[in-house]
Amino acid sequence: MNLSSEDKFDAIIIGAGPAGSACAYTLAKEGRSVLMIERGDTPGSKNVTGGRLYTYALELLEPGLFSEAALERKVTHEQIMMLSGDRSVSIDYHNPAYNAAGQPPMSYTVLRAVFDEWLAGKAEEMGAMLVCSIKVDDLIEQDGKIVGVIAGEDEMYAEVVIAADGVNSIMAQKAGLISDIKKETVGVGVKEIIELPSKTIEERFHLPAGEGAARMLLGCTAGIHGGGFLYTNQDSISLGAVFMPEGAAEKKKSVHEMFQELKMHPAIYPLITGGQTVEYSAHLVGEAGFRGIPQKLYREGFLMVGDAAGFVINTGYSIRGIDLAIVSGIAAARAVISAADSTAVGPAYMKELENLQLLPTMKAVDGYFDVLETKWLYDKVPNLANDVFDSLFTVTGAVPQKLSKTVTGALKANDLSVWQLIKLGIKGVRSL
Amino acid sequence: MAGIYIYSESKDLAAELVGFARGTGKPAILLTLDEKTAEELKNSCADKIMLITGSSELIENYARAIADLLVKEGAELLAVGATARGRDLAARIAGYLDCAMASDVTAANFADGKLMTTRMLYGGAVQQSEALAGLSVITIPAGKFEPVNGETPVETIELAADNRVSLVETAPIVKQGADLVAAEKVVCVGMGMDKAEDMKIAQDLADAIGAVIACTRGIAEERHWLPVEQYIGISGAVIKPKLYISMGVSGQVQHVFGIRDAQIIVAVDTNEKAPVFKAADYGIVGDMYEVIPALTEALKK
Amino acid sequence: MPKIIACYKWVADEADIRIDADLSVDLSKAKGKISEYDRNAIEAAVQAAAAMGGQAVGLTFGTTKARQSLKDALSRGLEEAIYINTEEANEADGAATARALAAAIRKTEDVSLVICAEGASDTYQRQTAPRLGALLDLPVITSVTKMEISGNTLTAVRKLEDCLQTVKAQLPAVVAVLPEINGAPIPGLKAVLAAGKKPVTEFSSTDLGVDLKPKSQVTECKGYIMNRKNIILSEGDTADKVKALAAALRKEGVL
Repeated sequence: MNLSSEDKFDAIIIGAGPAGSACAYTLAKEGRSVLMIERGDTPGSKNVTGGRLYTYALELLEPGLFSEAALERKVTHEQIMMLSGDRSVSIDYHNPAYNAAGQPPMSYTVLRAVFDEWLAGKAEEMGAMLVCSIKVDDLIEQDGKIVGVIAGEDEMYAEVVIAADGVNSIMAQKAGLISDIKKETVGVGVKEIIELPSKTIEERFHLPAGEGAARMLLGCTAGIHGGGFLYTNQDSISLGAVFMPEGAAEKKKSVHEMFQELKMHPAIYPLITGGQTVEYSAHLVGEAGFRGIPQKLYREGFLMVGDAAGFVINTGYSIRGIDLAIVSGIAAARAVISAADSTAVGPAYMKELENLQLLPTMKAVDGYFDVLETKWLYDKVPNLANDVFDSLFTVTGAVPQKLSKTVTGALKANDLSVWQLIKLGIKGVRSL
Repeated sequence: MAGIYIYSESKDLAAELVGFARGTGKPAILLTLDEKTAEELKNSCADKIMLITGSSELIENYARAIADLLVKEGAELLAVGATARGRDLAARIAGYLDCAMASDVTAANFADGKLMTTRMLYGGAVQQSEALAGLSVITIPAGKFEPVNGETPVETIELAADNRVSLVETAPIVKQGADLVAAEKVVCVGMGMDKAEDMKIAQDLADAIGAVIACTRGIAEERHWLPVEQYIGISGAVIKPKLYISMGVSGQVQHVFGIRDAQIIVAVDTNEKAPVFKAADYGIVGDMYEVIPALTEALKK
Repeated sequence: MPKIIACYKWVADEADIRIDADLSVDLSKAKGKISEYDRNAIEAAVQAAAAMGGQAVGLTFGTTKARQSLKDALSRGLEEAIYINTEEANEADGAATARALAAAIRKTEDVSLVICAEGASDTYQRQTAPRLGALLDLPVITSVTKMEISGNTLTAVRKLEDCLQTVKAQLPAVVAVLPEINGAPIPGLKAVLAAGKKPVTEFSSTDLGVDLKPKSQVTECKGYIMNRKNIILSEGDTADKVKALAAALRKEGVL
């Protein structure tokens, strides 16, 4: 245990999720005294992911660490599925190089309850202190600087307080850096973990042992901005969907009902049948990407990392949060270590976020936000795709239509014009 | 006299335990500290009643003396009624004897010279069977066995009391709620109910069908909407009604333990995955605020 | 300085228990916790220690898994802990448990009061306190909902089925408390941090010199499944579902 003076730590980190633990690990490794305060009974108990982790982030934290990490399957099949009624169109991209010998695999599916606890444990091994089941109620401010936290009746001081408390960060609000979340910037994610024997998963998804599939689903949100996901874990499947809430309120169906319908879809049901649901969870998901990052990510004595800082990317075909969380945790730790005094920490942090490519990455994919705002993307596009394939593959013995007629017919049936598709294409090219 | 020694401060429970002993074919010897109880149990069909006299009015203070008596008489088993005092006495005696003890058994019978017992663990989720060899102690809850009729002689025995714990006073508990144990129909309120005022929908249903109101532990001990005597569960009331209807009860094992012998269990809850539905004969997945008043109307007819 | 001992047990969380199709009990995914009722026993010991000017000491009998419990227990106001660490705890019955605890208590000086919960949330045998009283030859008071210590006299109120019985005894004594005796507060940040610095005395079964073989043998352990009809109405509107239920109940003859 790295020593701290009576009531003061070098850093207090609020939240022991991936961002907080990565930060604590890096600081503790440098001999700093760190305290992680987690409000859940165990790290990860309050966290939800689709989901998966991109391995480069663990390599950044500590080369080789991934090989002992609590991870599920190495993803070698990237899939997109478009659902329309009972039908579906699937694309499967398979790249064995994602699991090539002698290199870290590209990404792993993860279970948060397992992974987060493991990572926080690693930070503790490095010398960080972890307390759980404690909620931080407020920050302590002195002369315009954040100097500590208040939890219940206890006050604890630190050179720097790092908010790693997730989406809709209360601590960031207390610090005056963000106001309450805007509706348009968060979605509601619901998810089930369905247990199945690993052999069954490998049979149903055609996977070798230890490898996994990650699948994005479009068209399962009744036209609401949102989408579904499916990840194969060692002996369970993570299946879920994210919905933008104001769209959901307009519909008659509840998010829960739409999710149950997804489970019953003929393309999905055979994959999960016979499984036992062992966990059902819901969580807010930041959807605004680069635009959702607060103006200021720091003030004197205070930094924001991970979801609290809005570091989530949604490109529609993939969602990334955990890797960005870990990278931002590392960036914050490096800033604290290198800074000459407390006023230098913030700017140093921003610099590290640039150096580690996090901010440039988020900026580069910012355009997806505009594309994904296209309302008819969520029903008409999957319907169109399915309709076209329907016409192509339905053989009744009658004279088949001309392809061009098939396509225009399908467009008309879905109340779309070629012009709209072209506009979307142009928007895509411009934004992306 | 060798055999099964029996004690309960409740005469009804004591009579049931004699019934248990008779069922094993072994001699039954009933212990009591109270002359009136000895009189009332003269027809319990035990081989004899031993009326204890001594310097203390608390049966617990005779634990060591009873332990010595059991050894002296070559007793095979001590069966005590599972009440707060019974469990206390039984465990003390087991401590003096340093022997095996099974508490709150759901079944007990002799086989191959050992006593085979069954009891519940984890609040009722798991059933464990054990074999107890030699002189052992068990506690048996009420309602497991039937009393039998037959004449029983009474003899008096003087035992030494450990007077280190003395009685200061006894205050009867005034039961505020209706008697759950005797009720044939019960309507139960769970933590799914929003506010205390909403209990009216439960009361209306209870009135319509002639039922008594009960609740889960949280409603009584945390929210204080009903007195603690009204909560059903492994640490509360264990009941055997003909009909049990619950609303907003998730169905944790500890609660379900309290109604496992009910004839018909009905549950109403919004969560179709709630464990209570696995424990129910009938259930409606829905909003209790809609379902219960509708049910009240339907059952009034 | 008198010591007030709070006995507690590290148990599997019953919410995590899985019963497999063949009724076998799967505890592998179960997280451990200090049995809920023991938290009240610990709080009672802390309060008694304050009243008596004594020290509240935690005592637990378990396998290596129970080591995780020490920080939690020490964060609840105990000044030190005694940990009997042996694999034999897995097979221990009420008799063996009491023997182990009694041996550790005998090795501890100046014990004035031993407080247990009525029962542990896993086995709930309610035997520990009375057995300890017998083994240590101390007075025992069980089902306690209120405790007052004045000098060397302990006055306690026992909650029995139909009455409240007030009894008194001289210390040293053994007490079993009901959860309603107090509200066990949730430890604050400083208490949790301080817990890591408090002393722990560890004993193996050889250190205690006690035979820990159980007196009863477990022959079978299986899940209890209720065999109910499980006729659950979820589809359709309320009126239809209620109608169907009412008809069914009439047919069952329970109305």
